[in-house]
Amino acid sequence: MRKIAALFVGAWVVVVAFPYLWVLAASFKTQKELIDPRSFLFVPTLDNWREVVASGIGDSVVSSVIVGVATVTISALVAVPGAYAIARWRAGGEVARFGILLSEVLPPAVLVVPLFLFALNLGLRDTLAAVIASHLTFVLPVMTWFMVGFFDGVPRELEEQALVDGHGRIGAFVKVVLPQVLPGIGAAVIFGFVLSWNDLFYALILAGGNERTLPVAIASYNTFRGVELGQMAVAILISVVPVLIASFVVQKRLIRGISRGGLKV
Amino acid sequence: MIGGRGDPTAGVPPPPSWSNRHPCHDHDPGHAPSGESRRRQPRGASVIRLVPRLGIRHVFLAPLLIVLGGIVAYPLLYSLWLSFTNFNIIKQDQTRLVGLDQYLGLAANETYVAGLVNTLVFVGLAVAIELVLGLALALALQRVLPGRGRNALRSFLLTPMFVTPIAVGLMFRFLLNQQLGLIPAILEPLGVRIDFFGTQLALFSIIAIDVWQWTPFMLLLLLAGLESLPPQPFEAAKVDGAGTWFTFRNVTLPLLRPVIAVAALIRGLDAFKVFEYVFAITRGGPGSATETLQYQVYRTGFSFFRLGEAAAMAFVLVVIVLLLIVPLYRRVGDR
Repeated sequence: MRKIAALFVGAWVVVVAFPYLWVLAASFKTQKELIDPRSFLFVPTLDNWREVVASGIGDSVVSSVIVGVATVTISALVAVPGAYAIARWRAGGEVARFGILLSEVLPPAVLVVPLFLFALNLGLRDTLAAVIASHLTFVLPVMTWFMVGFFDGVPRELEEQALVDGHGRIGAFVKVVLPQVLPGIGAAVIFGFVLSWNDLFYALILAGGNERTLPVAIASYNTFRGVELGQMAVAILISVVPVLIASFVVQKRLIRGISRGGLKV
Repeated sequence: MIGGRGDPTAGVPPPPSWSNRHPCHDHDPGHAPSGESRRRQPRGASVIRLVPRLGIRHVFLAPLLIVLGGIVAYPLLYSLWLSFTNFNIIKQDQTRLVGLDQYLGLAANETYVAGLVNTLVFVGLAVAIELVLGLALALALQRVLPGRGRNALRSFLLTPMFVTPIAVGLMFRFLLNQQLGLIPAILEPLGVRIDFFGTQLALFSIIAIDVWQWTPFMLLLLLAGLESLPPQPFEAAKVDGAGTWFTFRNVTLPLLRPVIAVAALIRGLDAFKVFEYVFAITRGGPGSATETLQYQVYRTGFSFFRLGEAAAMAFVLVVIVLLLIVPLYRRVGDR
């Protein structure tokens, strides 16, 4: 039984690792080697990397970072007090909780049509502002939901003690409760950033032109220039590596957050 | 992890005469029933209550509600209205209310119905496979490696769910491509020739890609669930001489059921959003073999600019989501 289990886990490790290794190898291959799937041995070249860097992928990375940072900053500022009110004071009651869960699972297909029209009418089409607003629609509910879970976990005695010690309500919140959930907020922020970083659907529809985020840029290697496999592989790696690092940082707290309803991972 | 809500008195509004600075020692015997005691609050003569004056909680909650109202609730209602019109962005001046015509049109639209069926097949199969694989992996991982090694390995096995879905789609597009792909190149000498993105297999290839990316999600939740199970039932089963399979069927599965339900619901709701793999690989084809709802909304709304129709398509999805979210809310929201 143990042997079968080990074999199974080992097989899955290979399944997971295989595409990573392939894309890593592809990023160092020449176009000729890429066309031949059996080219296992090759002299690595940095040509793809040079071309991708020269093609201005930096702009897309910057766009993605701006969108991600703006989205999680706004989300954190709004979600932290809101989640605290929901967790501790039951503010908004069932309606607030259900509403947040519903926002979280709402398919982007529903919101993209009106958001596109609003952006068009406000002159925000093809701007990062439109992408940020659309990313708030899923990052904000997810972060709020996570935060409600983390606030629920803070023992009330701590706050009672702070009140007895003469702190006000806001004082107790800022000085006693917030430090308790700071690691949770950190995890939620990183996770929210990853969600924003990975989105293609909204970014493609709202800003598929000049203000391309990284996923839109990756998709464009496939559609508009013919298939440039090597460069595409480089772009994928640029997008994936930071996220993989982030995933190792947040995993532990993610379990708690997700089991409370973090839907988009 | 999944339990009852602790505080049934939550909905009771706070007394208006509540002092902010000085915790009030109030005598309110009717207000501290069982729920309060679970939070281990001092009961009886002096109950320090954490309910503030009316006001602060609303100030805290207001920004959240305003932002969500502006970017979620209002667009949602606007979209519902659009779905009752014939709105087309190129012919905006001809916009008028058409009642249920868009919805009736969808029922008669073969491509749309194919997309609906594909999406349901996709969600059903993908979630089922991910659940079984994720559970098997979680059990195997628990058996094979204790402690640190398990955590490191788990961290690696979880990585696919963090990768941009468009990148996953493109990686597999070229891994499975008939001319360029490594996997057909490996299979061919073995005498196996498969067109992964042909009419027969395309949808199942897309499902397989989803399984690669999202089985880790099931693993994450189920492994956490397994690790949080109480040890006593397993010890009892061992003492009674129960076999591995018997223990799994009669102890592990029943105990894990709430976690399995939540994981399947969350994943199912998320799977309805499938878009990137289709966009990256098949664009709905061959024929309508891989049409999915979200991809159709994208094409109808933003290639053909029939936004009224796209809104109606999306609202069918909302109805499905609402059907699934109620049981989910019962399990995770209600505590």
